[in-house]
Amino acid sequence: MGRKIRALIVDDSSVMRKIIERALRQAGLDLETVCEASNGAEALDLLASQQVDLILSDINMPTMDGLEFVRQLQARNLAAKVPVVMITTESSEEHVKQAIQAGARGYIRKPFTADHVKERVLPLVGIQ
Amino acid sequence: MDRQRGEIRGEAVELSRASGKSGINNQNNRKRAPVTVSLRESITQISDPHSLDASVGEVFELMLGWRCRREEDPRVQEANSVTAVVGFGGVLSGACILRSGAQAALAIAARMTGAEFTEVDETVLDGIGEICNMLAGSWKGRFPELAAHCGLSIPAVIAGSDYNLRVQAPEFELRHTYRFENLSFEVMIVCDGLQ
Repeated sequence: MGRKIRALIVDDSSVMRKIIERALRQAGLDLETVCEASNGAEALDLLASQQVDLILSDINMPTMDGLEFVRQLQARNLAAKVPVVMITTESSEEHVKQAIQAGARGYIRKPFTADHVKERVLPLVGIQ
Repeated sequence: MDRQRGEIRGEAVELSRASGKSGINNQNNRKRAPVTVSLRESITQISDPHSLDASVGEVFELMLGWRCRREEDPRVQEANSVTAVVGFGGVLSGACILRSGAQAALAIAARMTGAEFTEVDETVLDGIGEICNMLAGSWKGRFPELAAHCGLSIPAVIAGSDYNLRVQAPEFELRHTYRFENLSFEVMIVCDGLQ
């Protein structure tokens, strides 16, 4: 599909981080690098020294949850530059609205398949 | 052995009754017409065992590629077991509990990660906690009032052979054993408070 993508996956479960990475590859993304963080605060630290093209983040995490993480990205002017997709078990319209208001560009509900990732993530990184 | 324990979030509100998922994020695009009643009045819907069956089926099929069936005659659990607990807080308080024998836990973790496991380690506990988290989210997501106003805790996972899990006088309890391949596990939804 061409473009190489640097992804950041934020989830307190290391197993889920691996599953999300596998789903990104199955969806057809050519991943150049995959960075991992277990909460929003770790992810912000990582972004101070790493550039990424795509962020996938859980919502329910200890220390700093996904919504606060996206708000912090917005405050740093990063959410407009790097698309953020929430991947979470929370599925209400209210949670989606909160995520979008915070600055997220996409929302995937767990459980998910590579097809859900393909449908919601690829357009955000310019791959149809 | 607890992996982590998170804050349970949620708030009291007036509720709309429906039996399925709804919303713009619904990957199955199922919609239900909302009818305003209290959650207590809709207890027969949320205690319907088929909702739990559907959630177990969805999580195991999408995340693991396994079809599960509910067992009418559950077998005795192995001595060594893994138990994951995800708490509900807000308009419904209680927990979703997933309990499996060590062999089923190893098989689930292997399927999730693509790796082989010979013992219940941190990765296995993490995987079982995440499956329980998705079961809890899928189950509450079938009821818009719960989806919006019932929070989930971060999973806690316990492994071993010498522990008891005691639930005190719940409002209602769903407890089913399911089988995949040749292994089984038990899922409980325990509600000890409704608003």
